[in-house]
Amino acid sequence: MLARETDAMATQTGATGGRWRALGALLRPDRWRWAGLGALVALASVLTITGPLVVRRIVDTATQGTTGAEIARLASIFLAIAVISQFFAVVVSWLATVLAWRTTNELRVTMTRHVLGLDHEFHRTHTPGELIQRVDGDITSVSEFLGQVVTKAAGAALLVFGMVVVLSVLDWRLGLGMAVYVAMALVVVLRGRHRAVSESADEMGALGRLYGGIEERLTAGEDLRANGAAEHVAWRFVEDSEGALVSAVKRERAFLVMWWFVQGAVAAGWVLALVLGAVLVGAGTISLGTAFLLFQYVLLIARPLEEVVHELETVQKANGAMVRVAELLAIRPMIVDTGMRHPPSGALTIEATGVEFDYGDDRPVLRDVDIRIEAGRSVGIVGRTGSGKTTFSRLVLRLVEPTGGLVSLGGVPISDIPLDELRRRVALVPQEVELFAGSLRDNATLFDDEPTDAAVIDALQRVGLGDLAEGGIDRALGAGGAGLSAGEAQLLALARVWLRDPDVLVLDEATARVDPETERRLESAIVELMRNRTTLIIAHRLTTLHSVDEIVVFDHGRIIEHGNRADLVGDDDSRFARLLTMSLDGDQVDDEEAAPNEASVPERSEVST
Amino acid sequence: MTAVIHPASTPADGDIELPSDQALAPVAGVWGLAWRVAQHRPKEFWLGWFLFVVFFTMPAITGYLLARGYGSLERGDSTETIWWSVAIAVSETIRMVSIHHGALIWTRVWIHMQTLLRANLLSAQMASGGIHAGQPVGSAGSAVTHFRDDTEDVANLVDGIVDISGGLVFTVIAGFVLGAADASAAVVLVFPLLSVALVTRVLDTRIKEFRTADRAATERVTGLLGDIMAAATTVKVNDAAEPMLARLRVLVDRRRHTAVRDRVLDEGVMAFSQGAADVGLGMVLLVSAGAIASGAFDLATLALFTAYLGWLSFLPRMVGRVLARRKQAGVAFARMSALVADVDARNTVRSRSLPIDPRDHGVRPEVVRPERVPLVLLEVDGLRVSYGDRRVLHDVSFSVRRGQFVVITGPVGAGKSTLLRALLGLAWQADVDGSVRWNGVEIDDRSAFLVPPNAAFLSQVPQLISDSVADNVSLGPAHPDALERAFRLAAIADDIAEMPDGADTLIGPRGLRLSGGQRQRLATARALVHEPELVVLDDLSSALDVETEVQLWANLADAGMTVIAVSHRAVAFDRADQVLRLDAGRL
Repeated sequence: MLARETDAMATQTGATGGRWRALGALLRPDRWRWAGLGALVALASVLTITGPLVVRRIVDTATQGTTGAEIARLASIFLAIAVISQFFAVVVSWLATVLAWRTTNELRVTMTRHVLGLDHEFHRTHTPGELIQRVDGDITSVSEFLGQVVTKAAGAALLVFGMVVVLSVLDWRLGLGMAVYVAMALVVVLRGRHRAVSESADEMGALGRLYGGIEERLTAGEDLRANGAAEHVAWRFVEDSEGALVSAVKRERAFLVMWWFVQGAVAAGWVLALVLGAVLVGAGTISLGTAFLLFQYVLLIARPLEEVVHELETVQKANGAMVRVAELLAIRPMIVDTGMRHPPSGALTIEATGVEFDYGDDRPVLRDVDIRIEAGRSVGIVGRTGSGKTTFSRLVLRLVEPTGGLVSLGGVPISDIPLDELRRRVALVPQEVELFAGSLRDNATLFDDEPTDAAVIDALQRVGLGDLAEGGIDRALGAGGAGLSAGEAQLLALARVWLRDPDVLVLDEATARVDPETERRLESAIVELMRNRTTLIIAHRLTTLHSVDEIVVFDHGRIIEHGNRADLVGDDDSRFARLLTMSLDGDQVDDEEAAPNEASVPERSEVST
Repeated sequence: MTAVIHPASTPADGDIELPSDQALAPVAGVWGLAWRVAQHRPKEFWLGWFLFVVFFTMPAITGYLLARGYGSLERGDSTETIWWSVAIAVSETIRMVSIHHGALIWTRVWIHMQTLLRANLLSAQMASGGIHAGQPVGSAGSAVTHFRDDTEDVANLVDGIVDISGGLVFTVIAGFVLGAADASAAVVLVFPLLSVALVTRVLDTRIKEFRTADRAATERVTGLLGDIMAAATTVKVNDAAEPMLARLRVLVDRRRHTAVRDRVLDEGVMAFSQGAADVGLGMVLLVSAGAIASGAFDLATLALFTAYLGWLSFLPRMVGRVLARRKQAGVAFARMSALVADVDARNTVRSRSLPIDPRDHGVRPEVVRPERVPLVLLEVDGLRVSYGDRRVLHDVSFSVRRGQFVVITGPVGAGKSTLLRALLGLAWQADVDGSVRWNGVEIDDRSAFLVPPNAAFLSQVPQLISDSVADNVSLGPAHPDALERAFRLAAIADDIAEMPDGADTLIGPRGLRLSGGQRQRLATARALVHEPELVVLDDLSSALDVETEVQLWANLADAGMTVIAVSHRAVAFDRADQVLRLDAGRL
């Protein structure tokens, strides 16, 4: 599959460096705010370094002999520094969090836009749950990382730098020792990081499968309950949980390696500070206070080091998340928006010449399709399941690209038309209508604020949802469109088209879930909808096709019949006339169907290997 | 546990309250419920607990050794200092070894705990009737938060309790050692430490409000995202991406405010308790100023206080946090109980065998199905359904004999699907009245009895799951012949034969690798595979062309099945033994 190849390529390129470039690009617009935050962090570090120097002074003055009052004065200074530091910590945390969320909210919107721009094929292979996890879950990891970890890490780095400076002033050997010690600790910790990152990504994957599976099964809840699937679901859940457990233990192992290094470094620091202090004090090079200062600084480094390890999980998650974000952003749609030409206004001619299509598996779904539909005509498309009807309509919508041949609208090749213009001018009423958590109005306008309430109500009335509109169009529909029947949802989809006023209209089994009575009521609405537009109506139920001008019959990916409806109905030998008889008289069909059923070409591809 | 190891925790896991429903009161008996979760795998739990207690206690020893080391340093005894250094290294190694094993075990315990809760929620949701069935959820997307976040809140509580027991042991030892070194300085420390517990506790209420608001805002973001992603093609072809994104921007901005308040207060509490160590040291220095000047408070004592202070704020902080976590877990239990039988939180902690560790060598359990009771006569008597005040079905009665084909038809919103759901006991949200008799015997729990092999159901918009073709059809073990037969009956055998792996082909999330017609026919095969006594099909024709539908009815008739189906097509009416026309909820 094409989408999957792109996926694989993205993994190679995206994982190497794209993620931090992407992050850098994110930070740029707010760079001055981030810089200001950095200054605050630096100030806080200075305070932190000063505290132990006061204690050193206490120890040294006490050794030399002094009064309680002098010690008390120094202790008060130490106390004041401690209190101010606390205040700083909160301010820094607040600013960092605000900035982090501002920045990542931009990324959320960018990602959503990107994902929406990806091909039909991509959405067919990724669950909404998985995409939510990537767009919101993963990016929240990045928010936490930017908001909490980055300032802590920056603070720790400044702290270390300050300590090395202070110690160097006291005795250059101490400064050098500290620098070497920290550098070694850092190298060791960073070496453990890589493995942890990949294990963490694995764990996120396993959890994604677990939650994705749960979500999917809850969605299918009614079907599963009604068909007694509890045990089957329970066992699948056990298998997915095993995956989560195994990957979590692996991740923990990788993580512990780092933990060993950090804790080992801290303990080694204590031992070194003690032994070095004893040696240097013994040699008379440093004072007792300076020896204690070493100990205090090791304690000080331990805190951010441990904290960073504590936050390493956040770092891991953010890192894994950025890898996936970069991967996702690296996936390019096959449908590219490079068109610059504009078809004439008004209804458009649809023309296909030599169109071929397959899903990359050498099983053609469409073969050598040649057709011209004049502007303003309405065409019924019939054929059995898998004959290529829906795929043909997708080509007209440019949801998929033909593997051969050319589709043009109004004389302009479809790939030369700017995508937003194409989307504005060609509308689809699909078989399965998706509803949104929101008001009736939101669902009719798809969150567009532009149409007036009157226009929305008018559209609803036209498609026979007047009763629903009377309840108020700002009334909220429940999750998943609770409160609407499947038939009503299809009517709502027609109302969406009314509001958009497109030039080309594709109805893909748009009234399949509407009963015949309602459909008759709807017919006048559809006729009016078809006026001054070019319309393709895909229908299983041939009665839907009363009012179309032409009929096209698809079979095994080819057009086997195309003509005016009236002519075809009049011609007893026509394929359409035969189908019509069949649908009106069930018994007759039985005889025909007694013949072995040919394998049908799948409408969409099945699974590729 | 402090630093290590929160397997599935979100970084935001803070500690505090959560949920979207403000009115939701925490359930009573949280400790007892949490205890049952903790004791799901007692051996692992107690071993993990022990290792963590050792881990938390070792700093008391390391701190003492450090103090002795600095004591010898002050006296100028370098040889002794070396020996204390060696002792410190040994003590830290013990600490590391215990946390190493403790963390690995605790990772397992953590997942076991969450899995127990999840398994109870899921099985209550999937149960076809019976005493353990819960009320099905409305939106799967937001229900997933119960499986992810609520289970984590409970695990967090248990985690906190382990932390407290470790912190308690350390604090007691440290208290004795410090008291012995300088009693008055040790007493002074009580004040900053108590203030940590107090502040954590007091900020609780605010943190709770903030967390609630944040979760609600997050649910709205994920809800919209889920809708957008599920409807990507619709959004695209309707050129609705920009308005959708504008809406998303509004929601994420709103969430930014709640998130910032939530995180900052959380961090603030953390910073306060860490700062308390420095403040404590300052107070100790102040109180002992005289003793320091006189030399009574020596370097060893200073080292002791300095080393212990970093750890001493841990216990009061954890106490404050665990109190908050208790509430949070209480709300989590309240939320989760909505998914289980009788809305009783105790049903979320029912113990069950969950062999999820590879070392458990789990075996797939037998599938339990109700006993087959051959259908002679099905009678529906006075079925009434209402949603609140709105009555959707008025007094519907009819009967079906074995082998009959009954077609239900009627306009949109006439109550056809509701009739089928109510008949099968699937109309959970509605008030259902009336009786259904099987061979003259009233069925008490219809949702439990009317499953294969007695009945099977095809819903109007059938849902498939990411699994193989065969698993989607059989939903458990099934004989290959039975599968083949179902494929043939549902007119999908040829499609399957063309798939790369035949019946083992994976059909992708929600079956999206199949065409709409294939999904519908596969779901039909699912309804037929166990040769149910009664087949209930809700509008199977909507995704099928006439030829295929005709063939399907013929197949079912040849197989002698008893069928109740919704259809609008003449081909169905012709074949029907009864046609029931529903209008506005009446026959």
